[in-house]
Amino acid sequence: MAKHNIPEVKADLENTTGIWGMAIDQDLCTGCQACVAACAMENNIAFVGETDAGYGRSLHWLRIEHAFEGEFPEVQTSGFQPVLCQQCGNAPCEPVCPVFASVHSQAQDLNLQVYNRCVGTRYCANNCPYVARVFNMRDYDRPEPLSNQLNPDVTVRRRGIMEKCTFCIQRIHKVEDQAKSEGREVLDGEMQPACAQACPADAIIFGRLDDPESRVSKLAKTGRGSQLFEDLGTLPRVTYLKEEKDYGRLG
Amino acid sequence: MTKLLEYLKKPGVQILLLIGFLTVISAGVWGFYQTQTSPEQPILFPHNIHVNFQIPCLYCHPGALRQASAGLPTEQKCWACHGQLKKYYQPPVPVEQWPPELQKLANYVKNSQPINWVPVYQVPDFVHFNHRPHIAASLNCETCHGDMSKKTVATVEETVNMGWCLKCHRAKTENNLQNNPNNDPAITTQLSEKRTKLLDCGTCHY
Repeated sequence: MAKHNIPEVKADLENTTGIWGMAIDQDLCTGCQACVAACAMENNIAFVGETDAGYGRSLHWLRIEHAFEGEFPEVQTSGFQPVLCQQCGNAPCEPVCPVFASVHSQAQDLNLQVYNRCVGTRYCANNCPYVARVFNMRDYDRPEPLSNQLNPDVTVRRRGIMEKCTFCIQRIHKVEDQAKSEGREVLDGEMQPACAQACPADAIIFGRLDDPESRVSKLAKTGRGSQLFEDLGTLPRVTYLKEEKDYGRLG
Repeated sequence: MTKLLEYLKKPGVQILLLIGFLTVISAGVWGFYQTQTSPEQPILFPHNIHVNFQIPCLYCHPGALRQASAGLPTEQKCWACHGQLKKYYQPPVPVEQWPPELQKLANYVKNSQPINWVPVYQVPDFVHFNHRPHIAASLNCETCHGDMSKKTVATVEETVNMGWCLKCHRAKTENNLQNNPNNDPAITTQLSEKRTKLLDCGTCHY
């Protein structure tokens, strides 16, 4: 596919590295879903239940993709791929929102979803090539003990609005606030989103992309890195690391 | 259509419509008033007396210095002073002869019950306000909360909405004579960086 080049739109975006970025090592990922669970806990994501999940209304800001290749006896797995919002530098979800609920944060260089603006047109989700946005179909109830684990730093979303991965922006704010009160810069590895913190294999690495010395930008520059749908020109901030060969897969 | 117009010309229908319209408007006004009015407190705490004793705000609301929430004092914190006031202990005065609000406090302490203070300045769930950067930007408490040396129970002094927040965020980061008197280019970049951050949706909404 030819690379989309609209000079007036792209010129100022192409050279930006982004601020926050993530590297996901697919050779280390075991597909254990710890990140999915951690994400749901951290971000007050509702549990939709069996019926709604059957209709494809599951709420997951982060999901593990897993593909199979070949006919039945000789099935090969493709490895696991955690897919989350790629926080595109040139996001397709942003220009289509009629109420400016999906806006680009200039300060953090993230794709934001402003919940109180969102009216639920779902245009952004239809325009997202990564299917990273999920729509909150109902006010799912949280029975008594479950309501005690809600994270007070994150909005409890009501029905009828779109939601998506925020790169745990509440933690970014907390870390930046802490660093500022101590009069220093944010250290590399100090900021960890819930998924990276929960990953037992340390396959998810988070950090600053504008700092060439940070662990994530060093990893992203190795030859193993690739991005999802790079040719669409969305400038994703998530890099997937994978060798040509599959290691330790059932063959 | 003509039938409907005929129907609307009847004075009874018009009066009913007017009543309905006024009900909706007044419900809206009442709802807005409810968000801007000060709630009932378990103890009618006299701020003016305490402030006039030169007790700093941060003694009872220490969170404002370090974290998002300023915090409300526990009954133990109140009792730390009130349990040893010269006026009531030298010579000892029975609790029954104390002022009624202090009797309430003594009851809370006796039963070791928490005082359920009602927060006065409230923001919706989708707004995340943090006290620390505001204090660090050398804002005074009374800029938003009013002069507490003249108030008893805390009241809402300002219409707390996004326009009010942004008015200040804009004014403090504008590149004008007040913020940048010598037109220093270093301060100009600093101000524009600050402005991006302070006017960003993601700073408060997440």
